[in-house]
Amino acid sequence: MGAQRMQRTLLSLVLRLLLLCTVATGKCSGKYHELLLQLQRQADLMQDPSTLLDPYIHLQGLHSPVLQEHCRERPGDFPSEDALWRLSRQDFLQTLNTTLGLILRMLSALQQDLPEAAHQQAEMNVRGFGNNIHCMAQLLRGSSDPKAAEPTQPGPGPTPLPPTPPSSTFQRKLRNCGFLRGYHRFMRTAGQVLRGWGERQGRSRRHSPCRALKRGARRTQPFPEIRRLAPRGQPPGSLWGAPAR
Amino acid sequence: MPTQILQIAFIQKYLCKMFTLQTWIVQALFIFLTTESIGELIVPCAHIHPESSVVQLGSNFTAVCVLKEKCMDDYHVTANDIFWKTGRVPVPYEQYSVINRTASSVTFPNITLINALLTCNIRMFGQINRSVYGIRIISGLPPEKPKNLSCIVNEGKKMMCQWDPGRETYLETNYTLKSEWATEKFDDCKAKRDTPTSCTVDYPPVYFVNIEVWVEAENALGKVTSDHINFDPVDKVKLNPPHILSVNSSKELSSILKLTWTDSRFKSFITLKYDIQYRTKDASTWNQVPPEDTSSTRSSFTVQDLKPFTEYVFRIRCMKEDGKGYWSDWSEEASGITYEDRPSKAPNFWYKIEPSHAHGTRSIQLKWKTLPPFEANGKILDYEVTLTKWKSHSQNYTVKDTKLTVNLTNDRYVATLTARNLVGKSDASVLTIPAWDFQATHPITDLKAFPKDNVLWVEWTAPNESVNRYILEWCVLSDKSPCIPDWQQEDGTVHRTYLRAPSRGPTVRTKKVGKNEAVLEWDHLPIDVQNGFIRNYTIFYRTVIGNEIAVNVDSSHTEYTLSSLTSDTLYMVRMAAYTDEGGKDGPEFTFTTPKFAQGEIEAIVVPVCLAFLLTTLLGVLFCFNKRDLIKKHIWPNVPDPSKSHIAQWSPHTPPRHFNSKDQMYPDGNFTDVSVVEIEANDKKPFPEDLKSLDLFKKEKVNTEGHSSGIGGSSCMSSSRPSISSSDENESAQNTSSTVQYSTVVHSGYRHQVPSVQVFSRSESTQPLLDSEERPEDLQLVDNVDGSDGILPRQRYFKQNCSQHETSPDISHFERSQQVSSVNEEDFVRLKQQQISDHISQPYGSGKMKMFQEVPAVDAFGPGIEGQVERFETVGMEDAVDEGMPKSYLPQTVRRGGYMPQ
Repeated sequence: MGAQRMQRTLLSLVLRLLLLCTVATGKCSGKYHELLLQLQRQADLMQDPSTLLDPYIHLQGLHSPVLQEHCRERPGDFPSEDALWRLSRQDFLQTLNTTLGLILRMLSALQQDLPEAAHQQAEMNVRGFGNNIHCMAQLLRGSSDPKAAEPTQPGPGPTPLPPTPPSSTFQRKLRNCGFLRGYHRFMRTAGQVLRGWGERQGRSRRHSPCRALKRGARRTQPFPEIRRLAPRGQPPGSLWGAPAR
Repeated sequence: MPTQILQIAFIQKYLCKMFTLQTWIVQALFIFLTTESIGELIVPCAHIHPESSVVQLGSNFTAVCVLKEKCMDDYHVTANDIFWKTGRVPVPYEQYSVINRTASSVTFPNITLINALLTCNIRMFGQINRSVYGIRIISGLPPEKPKNLSCIVNEGKKMMCQWDPGRETYLETNYTLKSEWATEKFDDCKAKRDTPTSCTVDYPPVYFVNIEVWVEAENALGKVTSDHINFDPVDKVKLNPPHILSVNSSKELSSILKLTWTDSRFKSFITLKYDIQYRTKDASTWNQVPPEDTSSTRSSFTVQDLKPFTEYVFRIRCMKEDGKGYWSDWSEEASGITYEDRPSKAPNFWYKIEPSHAHGTRSIQLKWKTLPPFEANGKILDYEVTLTKWKSHSQNYTVKDTKLTVNLTNDRYVATLTARNLVGKSDASVLTIPAWDFQATHPITDLKAFPKDNVLWVEWTAPNESVNRYILEWCVLSDKSPCIPDWQQEDGTVHRTYLRAPSRGPTVRTKKVGKNEAVLEWDHLPIDVQNGFIRNYTIFYRTVIGNEIAVNVDSSHTEYTLSSLTSDTLYMVRMAAYTDEGGKDGPEFTFTTPKFAQGEIEAIVVPVCLAFLLTTLLGVLFCFNKRDLIKKHIWPNVPDPSKSHIAQWSPHTPPRHFNSKDQMYPDGNFTDVSVVEIEANDKKPFPEDLKSLDLFKKEKVNTEGHSSGIGGSSCMSSSRPSISSSDENESAQNTSSTVQYSTVVHSGYRHQVPSVQVFSRSESTQPLLDSEERPEDLQLVDNVDGSDGILPRQRYFKQNCSQHETSPDISHFERSQQVSSVNEEDFVRLKQQQISDHISQPYGSGKMKMFQEVPAVDAFGPGIEGQVERFETVGMEDAVDEGMPKSYLPQTVRRGGYMPQ
């Protein structure tokens, strides 16, 4: 019964995230800088280990330094920093979108292993971050190509799955711990990339903010790289490489 | 067979089901028919349109009552017979309108606030009125568009939105808060009935994501939606207040205090600004740190331009730097004291020459005023006075008081005075003490004083020469008090002033004295004694041996709590009131702090009493439970001698008495064995008698412990008769401590004259006791006497505590019965054999020690009770026959023991 409910929740969450655009009802902020700042701060907020990792460690009794040593992000769980920096804006947003889906699934699986408040807040934060990604993608599309203002669909690129639960409970705890550590690292990196957007935009703005935005938007067609990536068959390792240490 | 039973059970069950089903069907049919008939009965005669009506206030409302044909036929009525009522009040006919034969309407123009039952009634033949239908009319208003929708996110809590619902609708109106992101909708938040103007959503706030929020108001008359507001929840946040960690002073700067705090973790993501306020401890108004100085995220701030050695109280709050959102609540207040600074002013200084008898010297009393706190800038440790004679060495004095008396020569002196605190000295106040023959050549003139504006003014004409300063001296002229001079110092440029120092200080008293604190109170000084504006009060308090502590109190207060006092200590307290020009002490007041706080004694005494009571109760319960054991060890059961069997041992003793043994020894155990020693007059052996006395032989029973008490009385004094055939040592031991208690007057038996006096003896110091009596043994003796008729006999009662070796588990009673139930021949045969074995044992002091006890079980077989009764009967008959005086029982029994007869 519980498993069915969890599956249902998981399904609804994933669908909700994947169909962000199709169910969009509210109005996104039309201000690029405001939205970018929100994304940056959200990333700052979510990279804070006290929001998720620390409660998990506390609840699961993984305090000891020895165990902490084993609580490491596993390569391949999240895109590496280098890979994120290499992505175009649309691809970056698409990658964020996809990774958020993965995180939501993982959070759903960790529902029983986290304090309720922390879990609920983390889930809402992820969903909120997805909302802002959607708005940013919409803004970028709208600024360049009206045709591109189609619902954003997840690219066919590498979509990592949550780690398969190890057989041992202890191993599973360490695995989840490592995943959460990776999550915070990923959000930190995402925040840095987003700050990089602001800097580039700032430089561009010296000339013409509107033009620069449009130029950037032209450069970042809605997830064209993702579309291109798939046929090329770029190995996942290029995007989901080893995490930065 | 079991199969058949099962079949029967199944059939029974089936039949039961069938029966139940039938019952159900019948019941259902009955209910159906009943319902039908009732339904026919309650079919209304009319209908009103509309069925339910919520009417808007101020509108017109029309209702139509339509009669049914059947009713009209039955009751012979038409629409003309219809009349309307609201509640019990008939509606005026002017508002009616007969539409046709069956329908009549009523109209309410411009309907007002109403919530009533509107009924359609008919007037039947015979002026009988009947209500045929009714509806409820409720009037109200549709909801107004909610206005001023605003939301707040208290940090750590969920978002709460509130709105102005507009006018009263007088109807049940539901308010629903709706919210959504660009990508998803949230569940509706329905306002509760008791708080229809606000609602708290049930999802945690997500900062940095724009959310759109609006309110829908709906009631029976309509539905309306407020304007949508779109915001980032972080712009509606009300942060938790900062927590002040410390307020630190600086030794280098006495005018600053550094405030440090911790605040929301939001400062990692957003810029905060702060609002810092401070005041002196006794002030009521707050000073504000300029906002521009605290407009960025920080965790400390140094407040400047503070007074030295002054306690300040701080509070702080924060909000988003951009001003979006709400100020947090104020933090808890925290206080700190600025460091001391050197006294900022020299004390006012004056002197007084006192008469001296010594030739060539004079006594000078130097006196000065204490510095008010705002000039002392710390705690004044002492004053340094320097007296310098012209071209001579200086004399230095360090004084804690405010006066100094010195003997000076008649020369001119220059005195300087400085006040010193922890940081440094004040400037020196210089005073010239002229030589004794100095004549003031230019005194002031026209000195006059006059009241004005509730103060006493003094005016004078200055001399022509320049004047450094003036000193005014005065005292209060009163019949009730002596003239106590006071003084004040004025600058040399003025020639008019008023007496500024208060003429008296406030009188302080205690309002409440606790163990470690005391609440002081005082009255404001009357205007006529203030002599200026009272700037502040200073409370000085000290113990008998302690240093004086000064506390400054704002002039607006009339109460102050001294804290951190020592319990059970005498304190002396006084107050000084300060104007700009000086202060005046009030009278000293003493109080003693109590040793215990209020309720503390009760808190100690009550638990102790309860514990004592509990202990006592437990003790009593314990004693009650262990009463047998305690009684055995502390006060054993001392039998009442008056109930001793010895006392009742007479031929008149009823046989039932002998059967009380099992009551006395319910467990069948005895405490000891008594030996009956029968004292004989002559010492010759009585072989015949001995033979007859064989029947006295009885078993020596086991003892089960000894009762404590007087000489182990229960052991030693048991008078259960026994054959005195114990071994020598035992006999000697027992007889050595034998005490004669009673004399048994042997009156013979069956008309035989007793030749010996018979004594009852016991080794115990205890009198022969009832519980130690062994009626059955006596019975034996009696029976034996009766049966054998051997007289005179020498009898001894001797005790023996030794346990029986052979039959420890057989009760004495049983054994005795066994003994008593043996037939005579057996006794005789056995006793002859036993006596032959023991008769050679020596006798002591005229007493016969005989009848070594033999276990009855060993000696005799199971007894026959009937024989016991027979023996007893014989004894009784003897007693009746011979009368009491002939009895060999003690004749006199005194309380507390048997006395020898």
